[in-house]
Amino acid sequence: MTNLTINGRSLASDSPPDTPLLWVLREELRMTGTRFGCGLGVCGACTVHINGQAVRSCQVKLEQVGTGAITTIEGLHPSNAHPVQKAWIEIQVPQCGYCQSGQIMQAASLLAQNPSPSDKQIQEAMNGNLCRCATYPRIAGAVKRAAQMMKEKKNA
Amino acid sequence: MPDELLPNAGRRSFLVRSTTMAGAGFLSIALPPALGGSDAEAAISATPAYTPSIWFTITPDGVTTMHIVKAEMGQHIGTAFAQIIAEELEVPWEKVRLDMPLESNENFGIYGLAYTVNSGSVTTEFDRLSRAGALGRMVLVEAGAKLLGAKLANCHASAGRVIDKASKRSVGYGDILQKVKLEKSFSYPNDFKAVKLKARSEYKIIGKSVPALDIPAKTNGSAKYAMDVFLPNMAYGALAIPRTRHMSKVLSVDDSAAKSIPGYLKSVVIADHMNKCMGWVVALAETYPAALAASKALIIETDPGPYGNLSLADIKAEFAELLDKPEEAANWVLEGDVEGSMTGADKTLDVEYSSDMICHAFMEPINCTVMQAADGSWHVHVGTQSTSFARMTLTAYLSMVTGRKQEELSVFVHQYLVGGGFGGKQDYDDVLAAAYCAHELGRPVKFIQSRESQFAISHPRTPTLHRLKAGIEDGKLTAMSHDMVSGWMGPRFAVGKKFNNGTDWLQLDSWDDKKQDIDQWSVGGSDHWYHVPNHRVRAWNSDRTTWAIQASALRTVSNSYNMFVVESFMDEAAHAAGRDPLEFRLSMLNGKGGNRGIPNTGYAPGTPSDYYLDQIWISLPWPTDKSWPEYESGTVGGALRLANCLRVAAGKAGWGSKKLPKGTGMGLAVSSAEERQSPTWVAGVAEVTVDTTTGVYKINKLTIAMDMGIAINPENVKAQIMGSALWGAGQVLSERLDFENGLLTQSNFHEYKPVRQVDVPEFDIELIQSGRHPMGVGEPASTIVAPAVANAIFAACGARVRHMPITPEAVLEALKAAKA
Ligand code: FES
Ligand code: FES
Repeated sequence: MTNLTINGRSLASDSPPDTPLLWVLREELRMTGTRFGCGLGVCGACTVHINGQAVRSCQVKLEQVGTGAITTIEGLHPSNAHPVQKAWIEIQVPQCGYCQSGQIMQAASLLAQNPSPSDKQIQEAMNGNLCRCATYPRIAGAVKRAAQMMKEKKNA
Repeated sequence: MPDELLPNAGRRSFLVRSTTMAGAGFLSIALPPALGGSDAEAAISATPAYTPSIWFTITPDGVTTMHIVKAEMGQHIGTAFAQIIAEELEVPWEKVRLDMPLESNENFGIYGLAYTVNSGSVTTEFDRLSRAGALGRMVLVEAGAKLLGAKLANCHASAGRVIDKASKRSVGYGDILQKVKLEKSFSYPNDFKAVKLKARSEYKIIGKSVPALDIPAKTNGSAKYAMDVFLPNMAYGALAIPRTRHMSKVLSVDDSAAKSIPGYLKSVVIADHMNKCMGWVVALAETYPAALAASKALIIETDPGPYGNLSLADIKAEFAELLDKPEEAANWVLEGDVEGSMTGADKTLDVEYSSDMICHAFMEPINCTVMQAADGSWHVHVGTQSTSFARMTLTAYLSMVTGRKQEELSVFVHQYLVGGGFGGKQDYDDVLAAAYCAHELGRPVKFIQSRESQFAISHPRTPTLHRLKAGIEDGKLTAMSHDMVSGWMGPRFAVGKKFNNGTDWLQLDSWDDKKQDIDQWSVGGSDHWYHVPNHRVRAWNSDRTTWAIQASALRTVSNSYNMFVVESFMDEAAHAAGRDPLEFRLSMLNGKGGNRGIPNTGYAPGTPSDYYLDQIWISLPWPTDKSWPEYESGTVGGALRLANCLRVAAGKAGWGSKKLPKGTGMGLAVSSAEERQSPTWVAGVAEVTVDTTTGVYKINKLTIAMDMGIAINPENVKAQIMGSALWGAGQVLSERLDFENGLLTQSNFHEYKPVRQVDVPEFDIELIQSGRHPMGVGEPASTIVAPAVANAIFAACGARVRHMPITPEAVLEALKAAKA
């Protein structure tokens, strides 16, 4: 039994300690917003936050999480009120949508660390997240828009 | 009744009615199905007290739910369809919802074939959906007028209300449904045809970039894909990567190592009836990680079958041999005298092109969950391009597995959001495998392809080889010959069909006296819209390739390689003729002969210059019935519309005027993917910078102009254009699959490389809304990027690369050749 803190709640997992966090979240705890894309850390679909840092949950074993606070897409904001989610909707980023939980979690962690990233910084930070529908231009635009929203909120 | 004049008249009608459930009225409208063989009576008789029928349902709260049978796989088709219906139905957009009907034998009779392909959804449904909406409105206005005690002529509908002009009073649709029982029958097709649709100038929702209805669920994790299904007592299945892509046979399975994995249940050799899932062994376990680990721990002895030693090099060698056997070729295009005019030409070109395999690599690996319910019925949970084919294929398979008659089996397919399709979610191996496992285990099974097994069992685009010749006289392209060899994917889809009868639903057809069959899906795009008086396309089928790699349709199907070839070659021809590639193209996009497109009213097919006009098979719901008032093919305007796109794109990009630094060049391309019968006109300009010391090149900018007739949702059209253009960028930059000893060898995204954020160029996109019939937009732009980039590389540094993808090494080699 492993105790986890996910989206502010305490939850327990019965999975073996070497189980990738991705499958614990998705199939055991049934928080399916986190997606499986590659299982190899090369697509970003499974991105979640541990202590605010974007990580590939397919590459994190259950036993490695320790006391880290996990945030999944469900915990970012369930009714899409996080600025990144708002920007994603305003710019109409998703197509098939499958990669977007990961894109959004990656973008949210980027902006938490760097509130006004340059184009190049956005490109670099988002480059590990594949999108086969190639929504990339709008992803980049939405990261900028979210940064702007966060600034406006701060100044308000 | 004019109806009676029609054959089958009594059976062809449709009904608009409201029904009562728990005291509330519902309006739903039942119309003849879109495709497939069932008739309207089936639709009506299958409507019990409350059936949300084919297009939409209005409930007393004023909410209108649109029933979308097309797969939602990134194109936001539900939103587009809802816009089309809402426009004529006059319902407020805020109260529009979407759902996805269940696929069953019974529902198939109502909805017809649920199949999403060919960028054809808007093209084939626009007119029909418009009429469905308009009929719904007519019934409501009539009922509303009665309720208001108003004259019908004074009443109209707007935003979900019926309004009496005279009294200025109004009543909402929801109220009408609660107060009046609606029942009105219309004849089909006459009443249907007679519906007066809005003028385009009156559109309020069509043409507006309303936010896509499926997007909010995709930003908070609540969107449901098939993988998000949980069924009681469900087990998991993972595929052990088969020894070969096709035709291996499992001789024995040793699972002694797997047995030590906690949660492991058993391994199942999938019955390969129907020649699907050949050599598949699935490990079943209580969890997916356990199933995956077990699948890798199985020791499987296999007979690799006939393709066990086959590699890409062998396929390429066979291609080259085939091209030297003209007697085995089938003619696809045959105009004028190609051989004769070549001899008379003052300049000729003779070059070879080729392309590698690529695959869909959707972000959602194929997965599906199947259970057999207590009543014996089968339930499939899947995100697929065709729930209908999934159901039919599984029914046939289960009949073989269980020995029961197909009629005795009841199969339901529950559709989910599709995490990327691109033509690759229309094979049903996974459905069969999951069902077989569920059958063997007696429990529901969730079957998930790992990324590695997904690549191994992918359905790639065939490799191709092309030989092209041009005859140039007085600077004009007078003769063009295009010989091409590839695997033909068509035959693989004709399960149970005789391939060579030339008339089956695959539209295998031939233009010449020999009447050889030809697979349109493998040669399309080579029948371009340039006027070349002597023009021939011949095609060879490497059947072994088709089966060995399990070739399939991939975004724009054959256009995805043929436009690279044709448009690169046109550039070469322009240079050989000493002319500017833009001016050279425009001079041939003159709309002459068959290239004028199919006119609004009749045409005379079969004349030599109209050879393309013989075939209209995908463009419209009633392709041969010219009496539909709105009947119009998207091909109207033909090559002239393509020329217009080219002028716009070239002009916007600054063709011939923009100063470019050394090492940077511009390249052009046009395309009318998907088929000649369903063209969306598109032209593009790529601006590319080449580093001539490394061969590395960068796409700086893509300028794209597209004429899709009417853009239902312009911002979404732009998203589709950008996404598909970047898809095209991937196939020229970095995507390729290898095939060795019968197996596709790329295993994950570190080896197979779609474009990423850093590859994204600047975009300039122009939508040309010509007001013609709306056409599909999700694919065509993907075809122009590779040739435009190839042509830009040539313009930048003189390197002509005739193979796709274009690697830096190939650029360097071509540079060397150019200097020699
Ligand atoms: S699934 Fe974890 S990075 Fe792809
Ligand atoms: S939206 Fe489809 S993969 Fe990104």
